[in-house]
Amino acid sequence: MFDNRMILKALALAGLVLGLGIPSGAGAQKLGEGMVMYFQMGGVPGGGATLPRTNGARAAAAAFGVTLKEQYSSWQPEKMLNQFREAMAADPACIEIMGHPGNDAFIDLVDEARGRDIVVTSGNAPLKKLFEAHQMGGFGYAGVELYTGGWITGKQMIAHGGLKAGDRALVYGLLKEGERGLSTKGIKEALEDGGLKVDYLEISPEVNLDPSLAAPILTAAIVRNRDLKAIGTQHGTVTSFFAKILRDAGKKPGEIITGGIDLAPATIDGLKDGYVTVVLDQQLYLQGFLPVMQCVLSKKYGFTGLNINTGAGVVTTKTIDKLAPLIEAGIR
Amino acid sequence: MSRPEIKTHRALWQEIEGLPIIGVFLALIGVFMVTAPESFLGYRIYMTFLGTVTPPLILGLGLTLVITAGEIDLSFPSVMKMSGLTFAYLVKFEIFPLDAGLADKHDLLPYLALLAALIVGAAIGFINGVLIARVGIPSIIATLATLFVWEGATVILSGGLSHNIRQIGDYSIYDVLTGRIGPVPVQALWALGLAVVTWFVLNRRRFGEHLLFIGDNPEVARVLGVDVVREKIKLFTLMGVLGALAGVVLTLDNKNFFTTQGSGYLLIVMAAVFIGGTSITGGKGSIVGTFFASFIVGSIEAGIVASGLGGFWTRLVVGLVFLTAVIVHIFMENPRKFEVFRQLVGFRFGHRPGTGPPGGAVGGAGPPPPT
Amino acid sequence: MAGKGYDHAIRMENIRMSFGAVLALNDVSLAVGRNEIVGLLGDNGAGKSTLIKIMTGVLRPTAGDLYIRDESIDWRSYSVLASHDHGIETVYQDKSLGEKQPLWRNFFVGRQITNRFGFIDVASEKEIAQEILLKSIGFTGAGITVDSLVSDLSGGERQGIAIGRAMYFDADLIVLDEPTAALAIREVRKVLNFIGGIKESGRACVYIDHNIAHVHEVADRLVVIERGEIVADIAKGEMGLADLTDFLIELQGRRENVPA
Repeated sequence: MFDNRMILKALALAGLVLGLGIPSGAGAQKLGEGMVMYFQMGGVPGGGATLPRTNGARAAAAAFGVTLKEQYSSWQPEKMLNQFREAMAADPACIEIMGHPGNDAFIDLVDEARGRDIVVTSGNAPLKKLFEAHQMGGFGYAGVELYTGGWITGKQMIAHGGLKAGDRALVYGLLKEGERGLSTKGIKEALEDGGLKVDYLEISPEVNLDPSLAAPILTAAIVRNRDLKAIGTQHGTVTSFFAKILRDAGKKPGEIITGGIDLAPATIDGLKDGYVTVVLDQQLYLQGFLPVMQCVLSKKYGFTGLNINTGAGVVTTKTIDKLAPLIEAGIR
Repeated sequence: MSRPEIKTHRALWQEIEGLPIIGVFLALIGVFMVTAPESFLGYRIYMTFLGTVTPPLILGLGLTLVITAGEIDLSFPSVMKMSGLTFAYLVKFEIFPLDAGLADKHDLLPYLALLAALIVGAAIGFINGVLIARVGIPSIIATLATLFVWEGATVILSGGLSHNIRQIGDYSIYDVLTGRIGPVPVQALWALGLAVVTWFVLNRRRFGEHLLFIGDNPEVARVLGVDVVREKIKLFTLMGVLGALAGVVLTLDNKNFFTTQGSGYLLIVMAAVFIGGTSITGGKGSIVGTFFASFIVGSIEAGIVASGLGGFWTRLVVGLVFLTAVIVHIFMENPRKFEVFRQLVGFRFGHRPGTGPPGGAVGGAGPPPPT
Repeated sequence: MAGKGYDHAIRMENIRMSFGAVLALNDVSLAVGRNEIVGLLGDNGAGKSTLIKIMTGVLRPTAGDLYIRDESIDWRSYSVLASHDHGIETVYQDKSLGEKQPLWRNFFVGRQITNRFGFIDVASEKEIAQEILLKSIGFTGAGITVDSLVSDLSGGERQGIAIGRAMYFDADLIVLDEPTAALAIREVRKVLNFIGGIKESGRACVYIDHNIAHVHEVADRLVVIERGEIVADIAKGEMGLADLTDFLIELQGRRENVPA
């Protein structure tokens, strides 16, 4: 099942609701009028991985008449928890969270919020247990479905890169990390399903904290492995180093097929040059837009939470140019 | 021979420790009450602050002593990681399994885990002290290095994994350290008590007086009979213990150990100490200042967000508040500088009625200097 | 004052001090009589400061013996605080006081008055500090209280505080390390008078200075240190000031002319 359809359904529903909500006369009341929503954006204001989400949320807030309170945490889980507490103290209509602190850290806090009739929804990183517990109360998820996203990336690598059964590939990922590891699992199994011989390398904690350390590691792997035809990852910053790594290893664009995630500036350049073959686009704008919509619908009409995979397609060397103006505007 | 005008007699408002900072704090809360009434006119947000400000406040108290002694300690975020990991690991893998399915728990065991975590912090602090006082490495370099070393150690030991310890809520240690009395978070009461104790240590104990003199001039301290090496080692060991305490409180409150915990505290704790009025050059420290400044730093971002100003403005506003607080301190310490400032501002806007064009009226236009 | 049955306030014999490969003091012996003012002269780096630091417990020598009031002293138990207990007080040129600290702390640091629980008895310290202030030299005084910071005081007033402290703790030997260096003339006069007062009260003093005229005026004996060794020991009255000056210049010239 492809979540593209689900997205279309959701947007159609939104369009319908918005259309219904806008009467022909003046004095129109927006659907979310008077609602306050606290939204955790994740990184830093204006940061590459955060700006499209911010823009999406602001656009939705404007469209629905919601007052948006933006919170930034530099991806620190303990700060996210603190910000949740601060949000609760203001008794808003809704709060949006991310999965980084983990289900267990959030359980008691979310229960307390639900006890005060605050709608809680999520994005970017999944919270499976909380979703199951609170879906009826409006707990949704708008982010990459990790396994599916990885699978799509792997399959598109084969399709766009012309990989064949028997080719050798390297997957660099975080299998050990529990839920986060699902994306790595997806890309690995997609490649194996296509008949490739897949070597696996785990991203060490040091590299996770400082991804620039990945460069020498991967360059060495390429040089060591003469018949390596493909490298795949689901780590955004590692993806941004692909072009440099391949240049350092003396490879020309297209000699090694690569697949990654997110549109960091270096990744965009890599796509244009051909060093990066396919990139899973999280469509961060949707991760900002959809939770606001979720909030309004659940708060006003009691609709249940929707699980939407925003990572439903890849960007390639051919399609990157069309997207350039949108990326610049902070929408993609 | 005339002495330059020196104020040896301090006015009452200068004598009360921390008064300017208390003023800035109240002003800030006042502003937020107007711009974000739905948050700041209720009691809930203040209860939240009491909880979230406690770990940085504990760190700030220790850091105030360190900076008063003319040193600095950058390693406390990593102490929080190591102590948090120690506590979470012992609790999760050694204590919880013991009590699985039992009606009665080994309720006191987590206190041993707390003790172990404090010892880890003390050890890290002790090593810092020896490197700085015995080996002679400047404290900024030594603690920067140990910041990295112990962060790396935490990552290696934890395998990069966070640990959830939700079950700790069933044990008494959770309520004793991070529970609630009514709506009030208990950890804030512990922090208050710690602040009082620290004030007495700095101002009424030999150890504190030694720190003052060491920060003032270590050579002077030495010739006056202070064992500078021994006191510095004690100081950094104490800082290690406080860092560990903050780490355990944080881990308990979240019922979770995060491998990143504490990293975000480095700059905000330092900001709080300096906004609070402790001098970077050492020899003087204000516990009361640090206490209120910690609340300023801890509430600004939430206040800005609640005011709907949006994240883009946060850094700017925090910086301006920081600057304002520091300038207020300087003016209160040295009223002459305020006169200079007023004259400068008078020039920029070019006029004071009847004094003629700017630039010519330096001595005449200004008010008489204070006696 | 301590029992007066001794000949020398302090006696240092065969003191050797090495800092790594550098020999700062080479077999130096110095004795100060019970009621003697000894002036110590010598250029910077000659070893005066090192000798004083050893005398007052700041440094431990590489070799040598120490006798205070004719009693042999074990180096291992000797420190600044111990020197205070032995009746030795020191007044340094510019490191006697913590500048940012109030006067009352400066009087008692290192030997604080504490109550039963180990807390500093601020009230008692301030009370005694007030007494010392009143009795001390150099105070034109208006506006200076025990709470004043040292940085609020002029150079002369600071010296007054340091000397007042030494006097209060009832030293048998007062060591003055360049006490007049930063002072105005009137204040210098006060310090010299004070040294005279030490003599009159039956105590001893070691007085270090660059200014030959000052030392010549008050000292019973002049000792000259040059490059870690004592090169001259002149009694008062042996030379007038002019002769003394010539003597010292010649001494320095002789040393400088020795081929390296």
